[in-house]
Amino acid sequence: MAGEILLNEAAYTVWQMVRDHGPIELGEVVKLTGIDQTQVAATATEAGLQGLFEIAEREREELVVADGAAGLLAIGLPERRAAERLIAASGELPIAEFIAWANANDVAPNEAFKWGGARGWIERTKGDGGPQVAVSEIGRQSLNQPDDDERAIQAALANGGRIFLDSMKAGAAGTARVNSLLGKRPELARIKKRTERILALTDQGAEAFQTRIHRVIERNLLTPEDLESGAWREIKLRPYDVKLAAKDVYPAKIHPLRKIIEQTRRAFLEMGFAEVVSPMIESAFWNFDALFQPQDHPARDMQDTFYMRDPAEAPLPGEKGVRNLLCEASSGPFRQKVPDTFFDTDAKIVEQVRRTHEDGWETGSEGWGYAWSPDVSKQVVLRTHTTAATIRALAANPNPPGKFFCVGWTYRNETISFKHLPVFHQVDGIIIDEEANLASLMGTLQEFYSKMGFGRVKFKPAFYPYTEPSVDVVVYMESRGKWLEMGGAGIFRPEVTLPLGCKFPVLAWGLGIERLAMLRFGLSDIRELYRPSLDALEGVPLCR
Amino acid sequence: MPIVNIDLAWLNRLLGKQFPTETVRESLEQIGCDVEDLADIQYSRCPRCGALVENPIGQEEVRACGICGHESETPFKPAGKKQVLRLDLLADRPDLFDVGGLARALRGTLGIERGLPKYATRPSGHTVKIDKSLQNKDSFRPFIACAVMTLPPIDETSLIAIMKLQENLHWGVGRDRKLASIGVYDLAAISGDIEYRTMDPDKEPFVPLGMPGKKMTGRQILTEHPKGIAYAELLANHKRYPALVDSKGHVLSMPPIINSDETKLKLGTTRVFIDVTGISQAAVTKSLDTLVCSLCEIGGAVETVEISEPGAGNRMTPDLKPRSTAVDLAEAKRWLGLPLDDKSLTESLRKMRFDLQPVAGVKGRFSVSYPPYRTDIRHMVDLLEDVAIGYGYGNIEPRLVRSMTVGTPRPEESLSDRGRQILIGLGFSEIMSLPLTTEEHQYERLRMPAPERYPQVANPKLKAYNVVRTHLLGGLFEALRENRRRPMPQRLFEIDNVVALDDMAETGASEERRLALVEIGRESGYATARSVMDSLLRELGWKPEYTAIEHPTFVPGRAAEFSINGKALGIVGEVHPEVLANFGLTHPVALAELSLQRVF
Repeated sequence: MAGEILLNEAAYTVWQMVRDHGPIELGEVVKLTGIDQTQVAATATEAGLQGLFEIAEREREELVVADGAAGLLAIGLPERRAAERLIAASGELPIAEFIAWANANDVAPNEAFKWGGARGWIERTKGDGGPQVAVSEIGRQSLNQPDDDERAIQAALANGGRIFLDSMKAGAAGTARVNSLLGKRPELARIKKRTERILALTDQGAEAFQTRIHRVIERNLLTPEDLESGAWREIKLRPYDVKLAAKDVYPAKIHPLRKIIEQTRRAFLEMGFAEVVSPMIESAFWNFDALFQPQDHPARDMQDTFYMRDPAEAPLPGEKGVRNLLCEASSGPFRQKVPDTFFDTDAKIVEQVRRTHEDGWETGSEGWGYAWSPDVSKQVVLRTHTTAATIRALAANPNPPGKFFCVGWTYRNETISFKHLPVFHQVDGIIIDEEANLASLMGTLQEFYSKMGFGRVKFKPAFYPYTEPSVDVVVYMESRGKWLEMGGAGIFRPEVTLPLGCKFPVLAWGLGIERLAMLRFGLSDIRELYRPSLDALEGVPLCR
Repeated sequence: MPIVNIDLAWLNRLLGKQFPTETVRESLEQIGCDVEDLADIQYSRCPRCGALVENPIGQEEVRACGICGHESETPFKPAGKKQVLRLDLLADRPDLFDVGGLARALRGTLGIERGLPKYATRPSGHTVKIDKSLQNKDSFRPFIACAVMTLPPIDETSLIAIMKLQENLHWGVGRDRKLASIGVYDLAAISGDIEYRTMDPDKEPFVPLGMPGKKMTGRQILTEHPKGIAYAELLANHKRYPALVDSKGHVLSMPPIINSDETKLKLGTTRVFIDVTGISQAAVTKSLDTLVCSLCEIGGAVETVEISEPGAGNRMTPDLKPRSTAVDLAEAKRWLGLPLDDKSLTESLRKMRFDLQPVAGVKGRFSVSYPPYRTDIRHMVDLLEDVAIGYGYGNIEPRLVRSMTVGTPRPEESLSDRGRQILIGLGFSEIMSLPLTTEEHQYERLRMPAPERYPQVANPKLKAYNVVRTHLLGGLFEALRENRRRPMPQRLFEIDNVVALDDMAETGASEERRLALVEIGRESGYATARSVMDSLLRELGWKPEYTAIEHPTFVPGRAAEFSINGKALGIVGEVHPEVLANFGLTHPVALAELSLQRVF
């Protein structure tokens, strides 16, 4: 007993058609079911091989009318027109006269002789005046009606240009005549041999259809209707080529630069640092003077620093009203245990900073030896570093232990290039501690940079204006296979810390976030970081 | 930062021993010098003054002479090659600007020679008299220090080295000749004593360097001579110009612009006169001391010059006696955290070319002698840095401070982070844009009238950056514009600080953390903006009350303000088509911005 047979919907329909209408010609199945000819043929062939279909082949002759045949019949075939002319001339004409007529009336004389002869309508005779052309008796009789082949062409034209010769009523003799008349006349028609397949169920097939043939529905997609109706049980989902590429989709994401900022913040928070902030619109006092940067230092030049037109002047700490304003501003919903930048400060700090600039005050330094100007200090700038934030935090928390950091925008009066933007991010951190020293600075930096993804760190001497000693951090970048300078660090000079009331060494370091991001993302143009193109943003995977 | 080329062969000669280049390089890095690379430098010769000119790196041809200012249409003739170390100049350490100074420092770190370098002087017998007109406001350049030096006969290499050192000291100490400028002369071309005085801009013409045979007045030099044009600014407020004049009345130089051609250094010159003039006594002294000490390192010997100043008496320059300060072992240990003792402290500093003497009766205290060129020593901590460098940064054992502190994020950062997570969950992508903008971008293109006052920058190099942003909308619209050909819909947000002028704030402006979002697409509008905002506020646990507002950026009747507990916090609405047109957008846009509270 043969096994179960699973048929898809189309094959099953073919089977049904053959069962209900068989024997049936294959083309007929195609016509009735609308199923593609190759699919019907494949179903039939397979069933035939299994002995379930009987496929009878029969050869038939089909007449296919040539383009233009209808026109030729309408004017009249040359032999018919010649015969008519001869009848009109009472049966015969001298050959010369006949040819003259044929040429004048667009009748090819040899065609007329050839086919007129073949039909037995036209004969050549010898008359008194020489050779003649004459119409025969059969010709006279036949001219009233179309000949068999002409009739066949008309019938084919009525049937879309084709007709099976055996379906004509002409009988065997008529069919043979059509064959002989049209067999070699391609301007009118061709006779083609065609093999037809007649399908019928064998007994075995009829039995199989009842017992072991099942319909399987194949689909690309599963629909809610299929699931609700339970039809999914009969549905076979077509298998896919699972190696083909799929359509690209991207998640909504955190900005790549923000991700690095967040990583930096996390590194500091994990190390026990309190986050602080300070205004981007900052006084020169906090941005420069508090860091012992002389008032004539080139970095304070208009060429390098953005000065504000509005607001143009900021009061110095301790000036009338400022202290109260600072406290009030911090009492909002975000007041926190760790004092932030709004601290009780007073004129004492300003005085100590002034003295330190002028003669070193009690710091053990010589100072800068100039007359410090409060007006220069009151100028309002866009902060040039986030050290302005950590220095405020130091002034607010001069006693150890304390660890503070700030990430934020910083500004330099630059034009735009692949290397520079006038505004970028920095991170600054400080440690106020009895154990703060060069060795613990290096330990802290090593820890910090390891959290930032740089396992190998070297230190080398550097020179920064407000730290002593100063350190440059050099990290090993695995992806580039080389050592790169990453950030600066140092211990604040006593000229910086003592005027703010801090008697301990203070470790300080900073890092440009964009440079880190460029290295991480392999960019050579800093502007790329701020291009808001979704293509570019989507192109940076979160793992980078 | 300028880069200086150090002749490697010469450096090795001065070290007295051939060291592997890698050793020299590492040694330089240990003392804080950044070695850019090792390179071959091509030299060319100036066809007018005959000077050797260093080709800039990577440049095959030179057409301008830095010494006489000559510029030619055809390239100068090549004149040989040298292997050099290219170093970034350390602004703080002008004593490391040249081959002599570097050799001196390297001899210490390489262990060839330790302790204080000493520079003897003897009187030259020359006098420079200062005229008091240099104190006047309209001809101010009152300070001068001078020296006479005997050098090995000047050859082309040392000539270039002296010029470069002079140029770099102008940069590093003289603030581009403003505070101090240096002149170097062939002493043989000077007669008798020298007067430092002022001269009429239109009188006393002389032949300046680089213009052989052409007598020019001060004013002509400032308008016609390349060096005069370059530095004219420095004498812009002068009614009379500074000048050094010898006993025959020959103008030797016009500081800080140019020397006379007659007194220029020649090949074979052995005796030179050096002057430094300026408006800062400290810069003048530092320039001269640094220069002469470095020249001593390449074989020079210094002679002093008597400076005679009316009302101030006479003094001798330069004064190359060692300076002195003190260092405490205890302070060094506290500051550096190193296991130092008397011996290692002494050795570390001697390596850095200092001498130490224990201070009698005070345990762990040393008197330190340092050379005059180390003007960067302003405080004991400056010495401590040298202790650390002498000890070797690579020998320091890193450790951590032991005190306990608690990591505390800023509250607005935590809130921003929550907002960011919600919006990413809603399919919004984060963008970041620069906080500097223009009035047009901030107001006009959004149909907002510009207020009378807003935060403005006074001196931007780029006009596109003269306003500090007061809201986040501009960046988002720029982003929509950038992505306008991409499939719709698109959803974007930004979280950052904005500023507002605030007379109550310490620096006149307060800062606020904000969140802004946009959605663009066929379906976008007030309803979608509301849905997103409702969702965001629900997740944040805030209950909004919406009130209709008129806002020029939005379609009339499709904008609302919302408040939380009676406090207005943000706006939400459907963007006005004119704004869309201003940014070339062809789909409706839903927009919202809210405050995540005051940061200051």
